[in-house]
Amino acid sequence: MTARVLIVEDEREIRRFVRAALEHEQCEVFEAAGVQQGLAEAGTRKPHLVVLDLGLPDGDGVDFIRDLRGWSDAPIIVLSARSQETDKIAALDAGADDYLTKPFGVGELQARARALLRRQERRGDAASPEFAFGDVKVDFTRRQVTRAGQPVHLTPIEYRLLCLLIAHNGKVLTQRHLLREVWGPGSVERSHYVRVYIGHLRQKLEADATQPRHLLTETGVGYRFQP
Amino acid sequence: MKASDWDGAFMKPLLQTLNGLSAGRKLAVAALMCGATTLAAGPLHDVLDLANIVMLFLLTVLLAAAALGRAAGVLAAFLSVLLFDVFFVPPRFSLAVQDAQYLVTFAVMLAVALITAHLAAALRREAHVAARREAQTHALYELARELAGALDGAQVDEITRRFFRQAFAIDAQLFLPDTGGALVPATPGAPAAEPILARLAFDSAMTMNDDEHAGGRYAAAWLPLKAPMGVRGVLRARPLDTEADTLHAQKTLLETAASLVAIVVERLHYVDVAQESQVETASERLRSSILSALSHDLRTPLTALVGLADSLALLEPPLPAPALETAAALRDQAVRMHGMVANLLDMARLHAGQVALRREWQPVEESLGAALNLLRPALGGRPVRVNLEPDLPLLELDAVLMERVFCNLVENAAKYSPPGAPIDVDVRRCGDEVVVAVCDRGPGFPADKSRLFSMFVRSDNAKPGVGLGLAISRAIVEAHAGTIAPEDRDGGGARVVLTLPVGTPPAVDEEPA
Repeated sequence: MTARVLIVEDEREIRRFVRAALEHEQCEVFEAAGVQQGLAEAGTRKPHLVVLDLGLPDGDGVDFIRDLRGWSDAPIIVLSARSQETDKIAALDAGADDYLTKPFGVGELQARARALLRRQERRGDAASPEFAFGDVKVDFTRRQVTRAGQPVHLTPIEYRLLCLLIAHNGKVLTQRHLLREVWGPGSVERSHYVRVYIGHLRQKLEADATQPRHLLTETGVGYRFQP
Repeated sequence: MKASDWDGAFMKPLLQTLNGLSAGRKLAVAALMCGATTLAAGPLHDVLDLANIVMLFLLTVLLAAAALGRAAGVLAAFLSVLLFDVFFVPPRFSLAVQDAQYLVTFAVMLAVALITAHLAAALRREAHVAARREAQTHALYELARELAGALDGAQVDEITRRFFRQAFAIDAQLFLPDTGGALVPATPGAPAAEPILARLAFDSAMTMNDDEHAGGRYAAAWLPLKAPMGVRGVLRARPLDTEADTLHAQKTLLETAASLVAIVVERLHYVDVAQESQVETASERLRSSILSALSHDLRTPLTALVGLADSLALLEPPLPAPALETAAALRDQAVRMHGMVANLLDMARLHAGQVALRREWQPVEESLGAALNLLRPALGGRPVRVNLEPDLPLLELDAVLMERVFCNLVENAAKYSPPGAPIDVDVRRCGDEVVVAVCDRGPGFPADKSRLFSMFVRSDNAKPGVGLGLAISRAIVEAHAGTIAPEDRDGGGARVVLTLPVGTPPAVDEEPA
């Protein structure tokens, strides 16, 4: 099946290379130059993926995400500038799945788009009882984690955090989201907990905890799990 | 008795003349008045009854007390009784008294005279006080009226000086805090030194008297300008008339006047504050909108450039190898240019004091790890060894900015050391600080390290870059109350050491394992 992708971006030249990059990935690409046109296109084309610029001239990208999320769960990649962390967080909290910081390369864009489309396709599949990354294996049925064959002891919170990250494999999860899901809705003030526990997980699961390969920090925004 | 009764054409100047006499002269005048009454009544001795002559003496006492005050009145009372006895009561010209009933006359006469003297003097004093108070109230009212129109400190000073000179015969000088908080004269052109008594009065909010020169030519009182929200300055009052003890006598008046001045100075202060913040908000808004417009306008074409250059590699059929190389070079240059633009904008923001730190408690290795992850493509497989002391405390950092610092430092280390040579990052705790050292085996820093962290300084002009990286790093670290310093590494190479204060990290409840 050919994946349909909608690009909502006001700069023609940026649209042009995003289109080239995605068509190279065998996607069918549609374009919109603003929020209103974007919503209309999304309604008629039913895209499998949306690439959305946050700085649109005719409206707020975050409103677009909220609108779209009302009736579609197509993954959304947000394009934004560095130093706009609050905008990124707002977009992710509103339901965006990933972001790219301008300027970005074609390779990065293709990789992110591929990951999200793959996840989208797999959504219907029965959940696998096992997950492996690096030399780590997670057995969900027995709640067991092994690294290079050796069992690794995780506390209940560490395990819950790891499962949440794996479940959203490839997606950026904001601090606030992780806190709410793992520690409960009353814990939004304790944002340092997430950092401390991610640190524990890295020490137990990463080859070099100071240069993680799987539990990645999205500075100022949150975390991303990458198998 | 009303004031207007006294207000005759000649009574007023006469009374004023009498008032101006010294105490001794007043007594002499009272004695003279009694003598005159005796002389006047002498020829009438045969015509008038003695009781009526007593009346004349009582009138004299009343006049003396009213015009000359209590002491003169009392003297006149005793003198009158004495003169009456000697010159009018038989036997005349002797103190002896024939008829014992005159003793009663003397006693009553003395009592009436004393009481009259007392009442008249009290009345006189009250009239005097009331008149002075009225004049003062009027003067203060005038001062308040003039000050209400004052627009700045210099005007307040000018009005106050003029006013104190005219109304109170006092040389006044305002001392207002300058931008640095030092109390300096508000008069334009006056030497800007802070007198110690002004500081004392300002800090203690109490009037300071210059005791050393009390009563002399340089006697002065330093009055704090106490306004509702605090002390706003100091008023120095020096009497122009060096003989009278004006400062002490008019203490209350001076304080009232000072509080009037204080309220005006405070009003001006808040007008200034309001205006300043208005101007500041406006210029801040302008600056940040220029910066964000600039960064948006520069980033958009650069993003397109990077992406378009990249997409050349996707063309079918593929471009020849030289064309692809050119495309890659285009892309690299655009990325570098974006880096420079970002640095310039960051520096502009940091310099304008625009960056509000978004500090959160986190392990320092998190920003470090994120920076290394970002740099991985640029480092091209060069090893980075991170030596992390275990159990480091959480630090309150702005993660985005600290990531910039680590990126800059590691990138610099890579730029100035031979390809493939490892970079070492040591992180350890040292007392109340966490020390991060980024070390390379490059040529090291030049001997003169003082300007390395200034803007646009590079230690090797052949290397690319605008030389903003270290300046930005310093600005960010200093915003975190930390320090950053270049050092020579033992065994050759450069070492940048940054320290970050530990603070009091929040607790993390350990869950049961």
